[in-house]
Amino acid sequence: MDTAQDTGTRRTVKLLIVDDSNIVRRRIERSQQFDDLEVVGTAANGIEALELARRTDPDLVTMDLTMPQMDGIECITQLVRLKPEVRILVISALADKATAVEAMERGANGFLNKPFTDRQLNEAIAELMY
Amino acid sequence: MLLSGADRNRRLLTAAAGILLAAVMGLVLIVGFRLATQIRASVGTLQQASELEAYPSAISEQLTALRQRLDTLEYTGHVHGELDSSVRGFNRDFTVLEHQKGLDPAAMHAATALWGNYTPVLAKVLSYHGEPYSDTATNSSLSRSGRVYYAHVRRAELFAQANAAALHGELALVSASLQARTAAAASRLRWLLSGGVLAVLLLGLAAAYLQVARGRGERAARDAQDQTRDILATVREGLFLLDADYRIGAVWSQALTSMFGRSDFAGLTFEELLRDKVPPETLNTAMKFIKLLWGERAHENLMKSINPLGQLEVSMDNGRGGKETRYLQFDFHRVMGPKGVKHVLCAVGDITSSVLLARELHEAQENAHSQLDMMVGMLHSDPLQLGSFLDSASAGLKHVNAILKEPARTHAEFSKKLAGLARELHSMKGEASALNLMSIAQRVHHLEDMLAELKGRSELTGNDFLPLVLKLDELLAHLRGVREMTLKLSSLREQPDSPEGTISAPALRSATAGPEELTATLQSLARKLAQDHGKDFTLALTGLAQCPPAYLGTLKDCLIQMLRNAAVHGIEADEVRRAGAKNGGGQVRVEFRRVESGYELTFEDDGAGLSPEALKEAAVRKNLLSEEQAAQLDNRAALALIFKPGFSTRNEVSMDAGRGAGMDVVARAVYGLGGRIGVSTNPGRYTRFKIALPAVDETAVA
Repeated sequence: MDTAQDTGTRRTVKLLIVDDSNIVRRRIERSQQFDDLEVVGTAANGIEALELARRTDPDLVTMDLTMPQMDGIECITQLVRLKPEVRILVISALADKATAVEAMERGANGFLNKPFTDRQLNEAIAELMY
Repeated sequence: MLLSGADRNRRLLTAAAGILLAAVMGLVLIVGFRLATQIRASVGTLQQASELEAYPSAISEQLTALRQRLDTLEYTGHVHGELDSSVRGFNRDFTVLEHQKGLDPAAMHAATALWGNYTPVLAKVLSYHGEPYSDTATNSSLSRSGRVYYAHVRRAELFAQANAAALHGELALVSASLQARTAAAASRLRWLLSGGVLAVLLLGLAAAYLQVARGRGERAARDAQDQTRDILATVREGLFLLDADYRIGAVWSQALTSMFGRSDFAGLTFEELLRDKVPPETLNTAMKFIKLLWGERAHENLMKSINPLGQLEVSMDNGRGGKETRYLQFDFHRVMGPKGVKHVLCAVGDITSSVLLARELHEAQENAHSQLDMMVGMLHSDPLQLGSFLDSASAGLKHVNAILKEPARTHAEFSKKLAGLARELHSMKGEASALNLMSIAQRVHHLEDMLAELKGRSELTGNDFLPLVLKLDELLAHLRGVREMTLKLSSLREQPDSPEGTISAPALRSATAGPEELTATLQSLARKLAQDHGKDFTLALTGLAQCPPAYLGTLKDCLIQMLRNAAVHGIEADEVRRAGAKNGGGQVRVEFRRVESGYELTFEDDGAGLSPEALKEAAVRKNLLSEEQAAQLDNRAALALIFKPGFSTRNEVSMDAGRGAGMDVVARAVYGLGGRIGVSTNPGRYTRFKIALPAVDETAVA
């Protein structure tokens, strides 16, 4: 990270993955192909996500919408309040466009529909990283 | 609109030409005026100069005339006067001339000097006042003063004779210079006027050209406007621009009129456009989305992917007082200006026909699937069984209808109604799936879902049952279809020359289904259940032949339910059985026999058995019992819970069990025949149901 800062070109982007499915979390973690992306944490629900966000100060968060305890919409709302500059990529099976619009209004920056291909994931992340 | 750049340039050019023209004309006029003034002054001066030129010789002649008159002693007064006025005139005119600019200075100087010499000489002559002659009676002669006067006149005459030519020459030079100057000014004026006329001509040409060009530009703009109007009138999409206040712009395509049934779009807000046509939540989402379009996070692709108006269902007045459902597709494109999003271009398409077509296709596909499904089911089952199923299903639905028609007001009455419906449907589903008629079983399952949903409500009204009635109608229609197809199939099967083996064709037997069909049905259901639930078990049936026909229908219903319960709840999965040291597949044993008091049916499976504690817990969870009540129940009473309406130990619902209606139906059926039912179990080893039925009045049967 120091070297990255010394070169002055790009800083490591810190990624937090939020999804209640272990399989999806691992999938995102493995499929992303960015050298300068560091996964700083994974959370299974909104409460965990906020806790981790406080500790790890992520730049980018991938967010599921339907999760137990605290859902994605509420989590986005609080996350944006906590860290206004964080970029949020919603990754969800968005059958309902109204939910997508709602998430967007609360402060999400991008959307990726489940199921997704590796390429779609990387493109969506790239769009939010740079 | 497209020409605005070129048009603006042309306008600027025209204005510049106009200003230039005015400036040139002004300049020409001012300079010309000054030149003309100058020329007029010069001409005046020139006249004076020419007049002055005559004075020297006139003065000289007047002096000579004066001297001759003095010689001849004639009267001199008037000549003296003329001389005086000549000198005064010269003095006056010369003074004026001296003040003129641009005269030949050398000549002027010389003339001034010469005139300076004239002045004292002439002054002596003109200062004489008196009588030059002294008269006697006979003779006149010059008086003394006359002689002095004569001498002055003589000297002046000589001086004038000597100098008149010189003075005249100098004055002529002055005059010539003045003339040259006037000529130059006139020439300048001529050039100026020529230049002015030329400039005016050129500018006039330029203005004319620009005018023509502007006319052409205007025509092009008008053409473009016409074309835009034609496009907007012809295009089949509704096109309009939204401004930052979400208002529709002044330009919009004609297609909107038919889409929205109005024509006052200009200035209308997007919200007003959709209000009354979509539900409030949809409108709310739509407005949120529109708002997001103006934000910086809104990338075109992202917004496209979350566009909630991609297939918007709107309800429109159809012009005949009714409502009509249409499907509109909204596309949004942001129009960027120098300061971010300037407008949002909305393109609306009416996709009603394609949506309906897609739906029809889907329905047709579903229909084809279910028909195929039904055919397969029917090909695998006996037509007589099918017939008896259809009969009992129709009877069941009649019963359902009767239940639906029963008046109900209180919650308890509604609940009772629901429970009755649930029982009827559940047994219908059991029979349908036993015959592999999945299309019917699924429909009934769907109805059960609706019932379960109603059951969960705290308040019920008669209206809540309406969707149920609609679904029932659908089911009835479906059953009619099945019946028709059954008839076709059986006619196929009856054809004598149909090749053997192509269709399994059990011979037509007695009109009512007998014990053999029941055996076949149960075996087929057992195989299906084993396959569906991944269980391995065999079904052993004995003594069914002894069953009196009057009990056969009920017996069938009961056995189907119990078999399903055994397959789902009783028989364990293979790995569980192995772990419990049970050998191989499960066994379900059914025995029907005559006993002294009538008949006895034993139904036994060597599965997990029933746990009284688990039954109690389930009953409490389902609010069938309070915890205190449950605690007081002994094992026997706990086992009897299984016959309570609405009881089931499984949480999830599957096609075959889990509704909690299974043993309830059986018990009711048994009670209906005046029989009794009992259950005994050994946890981990078996569950055994015993049903006792009274003897049948043989005469009644016969």
